[in-house]
Amino acid sequence: MTGALDGFSVRQIARGVAAGDFSATEVARASLDAIARRDGEVQAFQQTTEELALAAAGEVDAARAAGKTLPPLAGVPVAFKDNMNLVGTRTTCASRMLASYESAYTATCVQRMLDAGAVPVGKLNMDEFAFGSTTDSSAFHSTNNPWDLTRVPGGSSGGSAAAVASGEVAVALGSDTGGSIRQPAALCGVVGMKPTYGVVSRYGVVAFGSSLDQVGPLGRRVEDVAAALNALTAGGRDRHDAMSQDCAQDYLAHLDDSVEGRTVGVIPALLEAAGLAAEVRTAMRDAEERLAGQGVRVVEVDLPNMASSIAAYYVIASCEAFSNLARFDGVRYGYQEPGHATLARQTSRSRALGFGAEAKRRQMLGAYLLSSEAYDRYYLAAQKVRTLITADYRRAFAQVDAILLPTSPTPAWRHGEISDPAALYLADIYTISNNIVGNCGISVPVCLGSQSGLPIGAQLQGPAFADARLLTLARALERASDMEGRVAPAFAGRGGELA
Amino acid sequence: MKALAEVLGKWEAVIGLEIHTELTTLETKMFCGCRISRDDPPNTNVCPVCLGMPGALPVPNRKAIESIVMAGIATNCEIMRRSMFYRKHYFYPDMAKNFQTTQGPVAFAMHGHLDLEVDGQGAGERPVWEDVAGDGQKPIVRADDGSYVVPIRIQRIHMEEDAAKMVHVGGSEGRIGGARESLLDYNRCGAPLIELVTEPDLRTPEEARLFMEQLRKVFCTLGISDCSLERGSMRCDGNVSLRRRGAAGLGTKTELKNLNSLRSLHDALAYEICRQAEVLEAGDSVRQETRHWEPSRRRTVVMRVKEVSDDYRFFPDPDLAPFDLSDEFVERCRARVPELPDAKRDRYMAVWGLRRREAVRLAADPDIASFFEGTAKLVEAAVVPTLANVMVNLVAGCKDLTRPQVAAVARLLADDAITFAQAREVLEMVDGTDADPEAIVDERGLRQATDVRALGAIVDEVLARCEDQVRQYHGGNRKVVGFLVGQCMRASGGSGNPKLFNQLLVQRLEE
Repeated sequence: MTGALDGFSVRQIARGVAAGDFSATEVARASLDAIARRDGEVQAFQQTTEELALAAAGEVDAARAAGKTLPPLAGVPVAFKDNMNLVGTRTTCASRMLASYESAYTATCVQRMLDAGAVPVGKLNMDEFAFGSTTDSSAFHSTNNPWDLTRVPGGSSGGSAAAVASGEVAVALGSDTGGSIRQPAALCGVVGMKPTYGVVSRYGVVAFGSSLDQVGPLGRRVEDVAAALNALTAGGRDRHDAMSQDCAQDYLAHLDDSVEGRTVGVIPALLEAAGLAAEVRTAMRDAEERLAGQGVRVVEVDLPNMASSIAAYYVIASCEAFSNLARFDGVRYGYQEPGHATLARQTSRSRALGFGAEAKRRQMLGAYLLSSEAYDRYYLAAQKVRTLITADYRRAFAQVDAILLPTSPTPAWRHGEISDPAALYLADIYTISNNIVGNCGISVPVCLGSQSGLPIGAQLQGPAFADARLLTLARALERASDMEGRVAPAFAGRGGELA
Repeated sequence: MKALAEVLGKWEAVIGLEIHTELTTLETKMFCGCRISRDDPPNTNVCPVCLGMPGALPVPNRKAIESIVMAGIATNCEIMRRSMFYRKHYFYPDMAKNFQTTQGPVAFAMHGHLDLEVDGQGAGERPVWEDVAGDGQKPIVRADDGSYVVPIRIQRIHMEEDAAKMVHVGGSEGRIGGARESLLDYNRCGAPLIELVTEPDLRTPEEARLFMEQLRKVFCTLGISDCSLERGSMRCDGNVSLRRRGAAGLGTKTELKNLNSLRSLHDALAYEICRQAEVLEAGDSVRQETRHWEPSRRRTVVMRVKEVSDDYRFFPDPDLAPFDLSDEFVERCRARVPELPDAKRDRYMAVWGLRRREAVRLAADPDIASFFEGTAKLVEAAVVPTLANVMVNLVAGCKDLTRPQVAAVARLLADDAITFAQAREVLEMVDGTDADPEAIVDERGLRQATDVRALGAIVDEVLARCEDQVRQYHGGNRKVVGFLVGQCMRASGGSGNPKLFNQLLVQRLEE
């Protein structure tokens, strides 16, 4: 088997390495070459880690030479969102605050990918501290959508989606607090999964909204995402994350099971909402039909409190962000503005200069919302809304296996096209309630827009800990599309040849 | 300034305590696996979690939860089946995350009480008009000697994490103001801490001191901390305000810090009560502020003035699920609570007929109690009260005595073979050796003459030459017997048994 690395699935790479068709080192060099040839335009990476990659690949090759059984992702190039700690790399969160912060330890999710034999090729750009849906709030540079470089890749895991869509890596990890994996996956035409809260350990992933954050994989195939989820959950519960659960199972095992007799809910009112692009509406109706064509029963469900989810989300997420980002004061690590007479002054100047505008906006919002005068009216009210939305979903999931809905109201927009933060917040309407409840969700590319020619993603949401069943339905959607394994056309096959 | 007694005759002092206890006997910190140790070099027991590194998460220490539940059971608290951790935000480098993980409105243990026994001189601090317990319900009943028992309600005991130690170099008195640099040692950061908050039920500095002392005994018995005040394992802040005798409502309070000994706790409160009385009597009002006790100058000074209350932006910690304590868990903790000092005291009084004062002293310290009970097994039940007397009055000053040695001395004393003074000597002689007290007594000829005939001769001789005293006795002065016993002792060269002399003297005088 030879050809451009970006044509291979995760399993094909691992099998090829195991069979000796090519070495892990060759795969790593191919991925690094693809990054070198493509990333000047895409700018998905914050840093590449050639040394770490070649060392990890060398270990895989040595293990094979010694006749050992290789782990399931042996030799598969992977890159991590830059809010994930990996010893030997900086973890910047795309913020000036952490521009020179060297990881003091390795995140559990990263370690589990490495334990599965994956080869770390770099760290990926993001919105600063994951606040955003464009990746434009990175303190260092924007990332461009591989399908149209003038457009945003989405965010906050925009680097992760763009690196996968441009074929630089086979799989990437992102984090999703309100849609930050699924939305960029949709905008870049790849698969992105937010597992159920607790499935993947958050230890070592710089926290944004602790009750909302979940790590998940992005890939060009549902299968690639499932393979990564296997690695992320192998080993069971992480004793470093009190909220993590033992979810180890083979997520690949049932991907191609028949979906006949399964039930999927749709919410017709959502498709009539203002702001939903016509081509997205069309794509969603097609997706319904494709599922129905495979024997899935499509029924209407209602999530009556969904409209309140944005307000609740921006209260809860801002409060948690304020608290989680308090530790960045420039005392022990991170950006420090020196030369001040008092500690209070040093802290406030370091934070004023270390954080970007959106990071400051969210923290100030959180600081206000948690103040004793506002707490009951906002934080407590938001938690009540959370309870109501959870009850909505519970009722819906008593009837259906999953809910089908758009991921983003529009395909990718141009850099700078939406500058009003509130307008950006509203675009999160389809993804946010999933985080509020802690359910699992996945975005699958279903087609290219009939007008824009840009990828459009459909989202499936499932009940908590039904991640495997959700993957089976996602695979059914993918099977009926022609988007499986697609690399953005401008980059497919450019560099990254496996000799 | 006026004397405390005078002030408390006019003003009612309302005192509440906040007592932090570090769970020093646990192996690891509250939310990470770092060792708890004070003696290691700075910043050696640290990890990403207690240093607040980006991405680190807390994992609760189950043993610490067991400890606080035991503390709650031992202080008659209700164990709350569901409680959670909250985040308390403030920017200061001693808290690596810039928030402290602590508990919210519901703590693991709430609504408890300790019954405080106030006796001796301390009872006199409480003015007699102040005859109702802090809950406003129970009247206080005083014994003939003025001692009384008063219930002190405990609002809550909650779990939290300790802060790092800060050392300010180059300034005055180790304060941050004017310091050239501040050093941080995160070894203590994240150590498990329980905070007990009393209701404002205490009325005198002595009650506050006794409460702290009694709580310390309870926690020592539980083994959840080394309970050292000097080392700061137990730290106490006092809140105090005054109100006019008979008034309802509360006055403006001040908060006292640096009360790191029982004496400081008492003296600082006493000083502060008098200071507030002076302020109020001058027609001024007390400012709500935090004051620092300076033991060397015996006064409190202002640390900081609280004009508005701090907004800590409390909210439930999203990294930690609420705790739902099962019945099994609570019962397991209950089973691990050993016999507490009060129960032990009552048992000593009931089983061996010890006097209350001695029973209290022996039951207070788990090590002493266990030595006492071990030694009691070596003697007949009738000797145990003498043993208690020996333990309380003689053994305390000794370094290294064995149980058989103490048992032997108690037996000799109980048999009137030696005097109390001789018992002291013998104990000093055998202390730190493996010598047998019986042998020492024989060797040195200390054994008291108990031969009635020999002693009788001495008694006759003494009575013959002390006619005056004999007359006084018959005139109704019974106390004169003491003088005569002394004469007999002298005549016997100290070897006679004073009790026996007493008996014989009275016998002869009444004949």
